[in-house]
Parts: sequence; structure tokens; C-alpha cells
Amino acid sequence: MTDDKPDDPTPPDDGTFFEQSDRRLFLKQSLAVASLTLSPFPFLKTAEPDSDEAPVGNAEKVSFTLSVNGKKLRLSTDPRTTLLDLLREQLGLTGTKKGCDFGQCGACTVHVDGQRVLACLSFAVMQNGRKITTIEGLAKGDRLHPMQEAFIKHDGFQCGYCTPGQLMSAVSCLREGRANSEADIQEYMSGNLCRCGAYPNIVKAILDVKTGGQNA
Amino acid sequence: MANAHLPPAEPEPSLNRVDGRLKVTGAATYSAEYPFDNLAHAVLITSTIAKGRITNINAKPAEAAPGVLAVISHRNTPGVPAYPPLKQPAERAPIGTAFRVFYDELIYFSGQPVAVVVAQTLEQAQQAASLVEIDYQTETHQTDFVANRSKAAIAMNVQRNKTSPFQDYDRGDPDAMPSAEVKLEATYTIPTQHHQPLEPHAIIAVWEADDKLTVYDKNQGVKSAQGNLAQAFKLPRDNVKVNAQFIGGAFGSGIRVWPHTVAAVLAAKQVKRPVKLVLGRELMFTSVGYRPFTEQKLAIGATKTGILTAIMHEGIGQTSAYEEHLERTILATRAMYACLNVSTRYRLLNLDVNTPTWMRGPGDATGMFALESALDELAFALQLDPLELRLRNHADADPERNLPWSAKSLKECYRMGSEQFGWKNRKPEPQSMQTDGMLVGYGMASSLYGFHRHPSKAKAMMQADGSVVVQSATMDIGPGTGTAMTQIAARMLGVSPKKIRFDLGDSSLPDAPGQNGSATIPSVGSAVHDACKALKNKLLILGASMPGSILSSAWPDEIEIKNGRIYPNAESRSSVSYADILKYHKLPQVEMTEESKSGPERDQYSMYSFGCHFVEVHVSPVTGEVRVKRVVTCADVGKIINDKTARSQSIGGVVGGIGMALMEESVMDHRYGRYVTSDFASYHIPVHADIPQIEVFFVDQPDVHVNPIGAKGLGEIAIVGVAAAVANAVFHATGKRVRELPITVDKLV
Amino acid sequence: MKPFEYVRPSTLQEAIELVATNPKAQFIAGGTNLIDLMKHNIAAPGKLVDINHLPLKKIEKRDGFLRIGALVLNSEVASHKRVLASHPLLVQALNAGASGQLRNMATVGGNLLQRTRCPYFYDRAFPCNKRIPGSGCGALGGINRMHAIFGVPEKPDPRSCIAVHPSDLSVALSALEATVWVQGPHGERQIPMNDFHRLPNNRPEQDTTLANGELITAVEIPDAVFPKHVHYLKVRDRASYAFALVSVAAALDIDQNRIKTVRLAMGGVAHKPWRLFEAEKLLTGQTVSETIFRQAAEVAMQGARAFEHNAYKLKVAPNAIVQALKLAASLS
Repeated sequence: MTDDKPDDPTPPDDGTFFEQSDRRLFLKQSLAVASLTLSPFPFLKTAEPDSDEAPVGNAEKVSFTLSVNGKKLRLSTDPRTTLLDLLREQLGLTGTKKGCDFGQCGACTVHVDGQRVLACLSFAVMQNGRKITTIEGLAKGDRLHPMQEAFIKHDGFQCGYCTPGQLMSAVSCLREGRANSEADIQEYMSGNLCRCGAYPNIVKAILDVKTGGQNA
Repeated sequence: MANAHLPPAEPEPSLNRVDGRLKVTGAATYSAEYPFDNLAHAVLITSTIAKGRITNINAKPAEAAPGVLAVISHRNTPGVPAYPPLKQPAERAPIGTAFRVFYDELIYFSGQPVAVVVAQTLEQAQQAASLVEIDYQTETHQTDFVANRSKAAIAMNVQRNKTSPFQDYDRGDPDAMPSAEVKLEATYTIPTQHHQPLEPHAIIAVWEADDKLTVYDKNQGVKSAQGNLAQAFKLPRDNVKVNAQFIGGAFGSGIRVWPHTVAAVLAAKQVKRPVKLVLGRELMFTSVGYRPFTEQKLAIGATKTGILTAIMHEGIGQTSAYEEHLERTILATRAMYACLNVSTRYRLLNLDVNTPTWMRGPGDATGMFALESALDELAFALQLDPLELRLRNHADADPERNLPWSAKSLKECYRMGSEQFGWKNRKPEPQSMQTDGMLVGYGMASSLYGFHRHPSKAKAMMQADGSVVVQSATMDIGPGTGTAMTQIAARMLGVSPKKIRFDLGDSSLPDAPGQNGSATIPSVGSAVHDACKALKNKLLILGASMPGSILSSAWPDEIEIKNGRIYPNAESRSSVSYADILKYHKLPQVEMTEESKSGPERDQYSMYSFGCHFVEVHVSPVTGEVRVKRVVTCADVGKIINDKTARSQSIGGVVGGIGMALMEESVMDHRYGRYVTSDFASYHIPVHADIPQIEVFFVDQPDVHVNPIGAKGLGEIAIVGVAAAVANAVFHATGKRVRELPITVDKLV
Repeated sequence: MKPFEYVRPSTLQEAIELVATNPKAQFIAGGTNLIDLMKHNIAAPGKLVDINHLPLKKIEKRDGFLRIGALVLNSEVASHKRVLASHPLLVQALNAGASGQLRNMATVGGNLLQRTRCPYFYDRAFPCNKRIPGSGCGALGGINRMHAIFGVPEKPDPRSCIAVHPSDLSVALSALEATVWVQGPHGERQIPMNDFHRLPNNRPEQDTTLANGELITAVEIPDAVFPKHVHYLKVRDRASYAFALVSVAAALDIDQNRIKTVRLAMGGVAHKPWRLFEAEKLLTGQTVSETIFRQAAEVAMQGARAFEHNAYKLKVAPNAIVQALKLAASLS
């Protein structure tokens, strides 16, 4: 079912010491990968290997392909399934969060073909053939993305629930050339709500990455 | 208690969050995110009327829909064992009854859960939920606070309890008000406001056996949730497991076990599968409480020189028709300023709405909006600087309880805050400062919050390899509990934080209170302190008992421990490690569990956190739009455990206060008794562009009387007073006094 | 959400035919509004015709016009250097709307077809003439702080609707006198922007003058007569990511301090983008001054009517008009 060999799912050694949690991380990643081969999520059916490139299907199931964090997947889902629910409920990629499900909070921000979008306002099938990057795909193996490092350094989160969306949006904000000033960042990050009020720290983190000249 | 002792914070006063990596990689697992093979999805159906009864439920079309496993309502619920037998005909629950899920056909509020649909997939459950047909017979409802104000009364709870703090309160001379040189009276209103954490409330309920229940539930107290569920389902407490390791914010919404949790547990029982139920954002407005609509009347008497001679503070809060929710609204006024003559009154108004609950700074954020606005009005009337007015009325001891403060550095907060802010640049006259066509306003307000410490247990375990595990059934809804506890353990044991793991959010861990009332660090931090201290002592004794041990002749107070190595004194070059001690004694681990709680000091001192906020706003004279440009916030909360996370918490409180001041309002159409603001597009919380950089200052001196770590709570005090500081700044900018929050464009043009 | 059939036709003709011949079929592009309407069970298409891959994605310079394909993303227009140079008002309006993520999803055609954000429309427990014609207007006697002050009935009738159109882009396009190109089962036609959206007029369920099966293919905007003196002012309840209480698109062609041409439109005040023709007439040929702007604002407000909670718009709107004109004219 996967075309690519899954990346080594060994958890990164980050010097933190939540060993139990790290085991959970491992388990989660394994599940995400396993779901594509063993299908422990009962509603994820593998498509016929020779299925057409364009999505096809009736009201119950539609077959299509997606690349998620570098892995090409052939999927068959209910056409009503949003990209967000596909990630969370079927692929085990729960890092992308559901905050409102109506495009009003930004917690579900992912990259589609490198652009930030809201996974809750798109049917998965509409993304046929596209490359999806989620928070789980932001780090390069053990090495955190500079934006992730900066969020930790500047404490750009509290509860952590809006954080994946903030991060995906922050990376885009920089790519879009909208991180040239504090005011710019504040405006172009406004689609990501944070109820804990981590905004000032998030802005500092983005400015830090921007001025650090790190690649985003 | 007089020897508050926590070794110095160095070298890591600002340790990064121990769970930071999990949170930035998406690996932190929240309640709805645990995988199960045969997980079923539940969707709640809620009433569309505010009062009346269900006359018919047609579930057939839904039951016939693809993938549907069950449609459960009061007609076919497996039942909550603890509920009393049904009466025929159904009778309305007396006030004081927690809401009963799927109990009878009666409707108490719009948004009440009336049925739950369970299906194989989320899409199927959502579709089927829209197919359930429910008929209602409506009765006249009352949801409008203003129209029903005259029905407000002393809470029955208070009538029964003569020692309730909400009894009518009068101190001093009743003639002080009428004879005051200067009098001021005003009414302040705050609308209903909702917590709206970014993570919606969610639960996965799993019946492991007929009498064994496990829930992954978003809440702020695994132990109280465990107790509540065990009681409701008549299970031995230990047969209920509650897991909540990561909580995506709560701010009070997770203090109780709410109906949707019970609904999911019932659904899982019915379909004999794990069931996941996630509240849609719209249901977050009617399912998990809110800060209640509250009206307050403040009357202040003072001398012409600005000495307070009398304060009368009356508050009316709304509650549901079935429960009483009381909060501290009028209580801060009794303790905040040195005023001899103070009266308070507190009333409740029962309406056909769901029950409110505590929301960050409960009662005090509401009450201090009124008191600190009124002080600002008085300062203006007296042509006195608002800060000077507060200094003139500073309470050097608690005027309510006639006790000394355990510690109070409010004056230091005022000094730091005003200096950092540049308060001296404030021109006294409203509308006197402008920049770039915008009206500029400076405002300030004081803050306080009572000290809470609850009995807590912690277990500290030294492992054979010298690493440490500390456990307590406490929570982290965002402040960074695990990080702070790790630091306390690190300092007590002399072990690097990297070698410490702190476990929380699991009901099988040692008893701890829920995370609320700014009580976690004062309570659980003390328990971690005590457990680690006990563990260290035990290990030192074990170490000293090793033959030829360098510790056998050491003086206990000279011993130094660094990176898990114990030195008899600071000069010593030889040392023994914790791991050596365990190895010698052939012990796989050494553990100590301690309980920590308040003692007689509670009767000897009055204990509060104090603080103040300084705010600069810009107001457009053309559109009436208000933008907060600068905030300086100062707090005296005793010892700061982690400077970085504490700052974040303070900033977060200010952001919440800005939302409260400028935009947050849950608006109901009273013709239907239903909110018209039920999403993030209509219930506005601040976005990035609303929030400037916020400067935070702490006094950071241990309060030696409160607990062994000298730390008081920060979560609530961070928001208390902020709305008043903003409103006061808006008055200074515009000359318009807005007494009804939020301060929106329509109130300023 | 009701189950639907998902189809992805390969040509424009095919797409149009699929929708024209099936009353339950609907086009989907960015999906940023349709999907939330489907989640609320307000829209329930039996067939969803995905048009995202159709060749309507070009921004082209044509003789005397800028032509923007219907499927060009809002963010693509907003970051297009030539558009920024020639039609900065468009860019300002686009960047005032929604969020970075939504602008990366929403198409130009879809932006025009956004439905109102009136809460009575979205919550099926309330009556709403737009959702269920004849059920009543919840907002009329209810909470109407966000609602219309122009084009509202003098006497409420059972078919009333006082909802406002939420798009910022539409307001700018209205001011710039854009033309909407549509293709339908009976061929192609052009609709002037001002005729594209409707006033409720007893049929509030109908937002636009599009016929069944018609698909927006492009918008055309006359060439840059307003490359410089423009401003899009949006008054809202928070600093960003909020719908307009009132917005003003102002475009001026000023020659030696004299107003040669002016275009004004407002958002958040009517069921459609609200062109201020009378104010434009008054301003044309006048010398730039705050006084004349104030007079224009007064003229613009004639006929405005407020309800219980939106009377503030009667004050904010004229102030916003003056402010937008001042900023457009660089007068401050």
C-alpha cells in the first residue's frame, strides 16, 4: 500500500525524559505507518492497485492518491471525509488538530503543495495527487525544524493544542515573505487562534527564526 | 513553616518545557487521540428549545442509516445507576440537582443533550444525528437577565449555610456612606463569556469489563472525575481509570464532569465498544459552563483627599434553573483596600440556561472589573492620580479578617509597574493624549487572588541508574506543571532535570487536587518538595550506612548534592552518587510518598497573591476601534519556580483580560433562549493582531508563611483586573466610561 | 452531512452540464464556505462537481482590462506584483479578508459566491427566509448588530431578510466596476458587478443573478485608472480575522487636487456590495477637502435605516467613508 519505505520510526533522542511519552510517540508513529499496511483503522480500505489517477467512486467510497509527509498513499474514503478527519481518524496523524471544524481557528493548518491551508474545509478526495505536509512531517528525522526549536526556546505555547497549526502557519508566513516585522507577523498569523495567549512568544519565535536567517 | 526553603534555581531558572518537544512535533496525545481498533463515534443531539418537554423522538430514519450502531435517549438509555427512580409524570428537578443525562423528557435549556447517535464512522454519526426527529412541547422560558433581574434572591445554598461568605456582609459604621464627603455610584455589567479552549471537550469511553471503566477525558482533575464517575455508575473507585495527560486548555471548563462525558460512557455501555465523543464548537457554548452574566452596583464614599470611607458592593449573577453557581464577585472588595466601612450583597438569578462554572479568575475578574473601574471613576472625580488613590488606600493588613498578610509586595508591584510603563508621562485629563490621529489612553488596575492550597500527595522514586520518577495525579492544562515539578524535584534532590520524569494526568497516581484556583504549584509543588526531601533523607541515611562512607561523618546541613552526586561539604572533592547507594544496597529503587497540606498558619495569616496592570490603548476617534498597544503587568506571587513558563502564564492572563474587555460576549436571542454567537466567527477571542508585546515583572520573593516552597498561585491573578485597566485606559483616551463589557465600537462612536 | 456523489469532470462544458441537468448538483471550488454549509446541513448537494482542475487559473492583461480567472486563489491575486501595481485596492481588500490559510484556498469566483454569515442563517433552530423562504427573518426582531442598513424593507414582510453580504473582495470589485464572466448551458454572458449580487426583494434565498448551471469563469476589471489614490477601510470587532461591521472601498483619480473620477462602495451594510453612486456624483469635479468628503458621506447615508442593535452603523459608516476618502487622497 505504501510506495515508499517508511522512515525509521525510532523516536528522536531529544534529551527530554518523558520516556513513557516517547514510547507513545513511537507507538503513534508506528500506528500511522502500520495503518497503511495492516489497516487497524477499520475504515481505511486499500484501493485497487491499478486505480485511475483521477479520483473515482460512488457515494460510498472514492479512491484517490495523496502524498503525506513524503509517503505516497492510495486511499479509498467516504467523499464526506475532510482532509482533517482523514489525517486524524484514519491515518493516525493526530498532530493536526480540530479546534472548530469551520475554518475559524487555524488549528488544522497543514501544507498542501507547500502552501498553508485549513484541513477542515477541504474534502480529502479534493486533494487527489497533492503533497500534504503535517506537523509530523516538519522535523527532519531527529532534527527539529528551526521554527520548532524557536517555539520551545521562546515558550510559544502553553497547552500545545493550537501549536501544530501555529507552527505550520509560521513556517508559511516566513516563506510567503510576511515575517518582516512584528506587525506583519501579527497580521499574517491572525488566522491561528491561541486561547492560552502565547501570541507574543510566538511572534518572538518567528522573528528569531527570521533574523537567524534559518531556512524555513 | 517559617523556614520556607527551596534551594536556588540555578542553573536552570527558565528550563524549557519538559513536554515541549512532544507539543511541537504533534506527538502530544490529547483526549480524542487515542487509537482503538473498534472505536465507534458518537454525536450529541441537543434541544433546540429552552424549556418544555420532548413529546416524541423518531429515531427510525437514523437507526436505518448506514453504519449506525445506536440512538440513545431517555427512552432507551442503559441508565445511570446513581440517578433516583423516575417519577410519573416527570417532575422538574429541585434547585441543587446536577443535570441528569437522558433522564426524562424535560428540557431545562437550549442545547441540552437529548440523544446521542453512535456509528461506525464520524461522518455516519453526524449524518444520522441530522435524521433524528424530535418533537417538543414548549413552555415559556426566561433567559433574559435584565428582564428578570427583580427575581434575583439570596442563594438557597447561602440561606442554609449561616457561615457562607456570601451572606450579607456589613462592617463598620452604616452611616459612613450617607455622610461621605464624596459619593459615587455606578452599575457595571459583564456579559456571559465562554472559556472556549482551543481543544474542544472530548472523551473516549472504554468499558474494559462490566464493572471496569476507563476514560480518556478532557478535564482538570482526574481524581475528581474518577470519583464522580465511580459514584454515578456505582463502581468501586479503583475500577474507574481517568486519563488526561495533555489538556488543550480549559480555563475552568474542565473542573466538572459534564453531561457529555456521562453520555459517552452510556453510549459505550450500550454499544459495547469504545466510543469517542468530541463536542462541536457550537456545543462548547452550552455544554461546559461559562462565566455568568453579572450585574454589579458599586457605591463608594471617600474624603476629598481620597481616603475611602465606605464601600457598598452588590452583585447579581445568573445561574441555571436547577443548580446554584456562586462565585467570588463581591468578596475581593472586603480585602482589597483599607476601608473601615464595607457592605456586600450577593444574589443569584435562576434562568432557563445551563449552569455557569468557574472561568479564569472566577468572581474576582468580574468583581475587580467593577471595583477597579469605580476606583478610577473616583480618582477622576477627585482629580487624583489613579495610582496615588490606590496607594493612599493600601491595606497594610487584611481589613476583613484583621490578620496580617502572609506577605504582600503590592506597593513594590505598583512601583515597578509604573516605572516600567512610564506612568508619570500620563496627562491627567481624558482625551489629552494623541498620536497619529489616535486617542491615547493610559489605565491601570490592581489585582488580587486568594491563596489556595489543598492536601496533595506525591511519590518520588530514585531508580538504580540515578534517574528519578516523581508522580502525582495533578494536571497540566497549559501552565507547565510537569516542568515546574521537575524543577522542584531537581533542586531538592540535586539531580539534573534531564534525569527526572514527572508523571501526571492519571487517576492511578497519588492523590492531588484538580488544576484550578491557582492551587497547583502551592499544593502539589509542596508535596513534591516534601516527597523529594524525604527521599533525599532516606538516601542519605542509606548512604551513610555504607561501610567507610564519606557521608557517615558529614553534617546534614553541609551536604551538597550536584548532578546526583553527594558531597559531604562544599569543599569536598570526594563524593558518592545516588546510583552508588542503590547499588551497594542492591535496591532496584527507593521511593517515598508524602502528603502535604496547610497547617495552623491559615488562621494566623491572610494569604493572597497581589499584582497590578498598566495598559496603553489607542482609540480611533473615527471608527471607535480600540487597540491595546502596550501592557506592563506585575505580580507578587511569592517564589517563581520557572521564570519562563510563569511569564507565559502572566501574558496569557493579560490576553484573556483583553478579550474580556474588548470583544468577548455570548449573545442570546431571548425569544428563543438560544445563543446567536456559537462559533469563533461570532464569539471573538483575541487574535495575534490584537496583542502587543506584554512586559511581565515578578517580585519573586518567597512567602515564607504559605508553604515549604514559598510559592503562591499565578494563573488567576494574571487576568484579574486586566479588563478594568483596559476600560480605564479607554476612559482616559476618550472620556467615555464604558461600564458594560465588552467595549465595542458601538459603545464608543 | 448528507452523502453525495463526487465527480471531477474534465472540461468546463461537462461541468456545466452536470450541474445544469441535475438540480441537486453543485459546483465546488475552494470549498471554504460550501463545506461549512454542508456540515451545518444548510447545503446538501447530492452531487458535488469539483471544478478545481479546470483551466480558469490565469491572471491576464487584456486590452483595457485585467482578467482574473475564477479559480485563481485569493492569495495569488493578493501577491501578484502586476495586480498590486495596477489595482492596489483589490490587494488591500483581499488582505483584509479571512486569513492567510483561507486566502490560499478560496478562489476569486467562490469569494463572490460566499453566503451571508448571519447566525440565523447558520443555525437551523432559528427561522430564516434565506434558508427556508417564508419561515421568517430571525434577525429582524432579534440580534441584528451585524445587519444591513441599506436596501432593507420599510415595512417588514414575511419574506424579509436583513443579512449582509460578507465578501471584502466584492466590495472592491464593485467599486472598480468589474464585470463577472459566466458560462452556462446556453453559452457565455457578462454581468456587471453591480448587478451580480441581489437585494433580497422577497427572494432572499437568491444571493446572485446567476442562473442554474451557470459558472463564473472570470472577472474583468477595467484598467488602472486608480493605481494610486485608493483605500480599503475595514471596521471590525478585532484587529484581524473578523467580518466587517462596515467597510469602505474608495478609489480616486485626482488631478491637481481636483477629483476627476471617484468610486465608492461599502461592505457590511447591505445584502450586496453597496455602491455609493450619489456620493460619487457629488464628489466628481470637486476639490479634495475633508468638507466635501463629509458632504459626500452624508449623501451616501441617505436612505439608511437601522434596527435595534445596528444604529451605530449610521455613525460609523459616514465616518468610515470620510476616513477612507482621506486616506485614499493622502489627506490627513
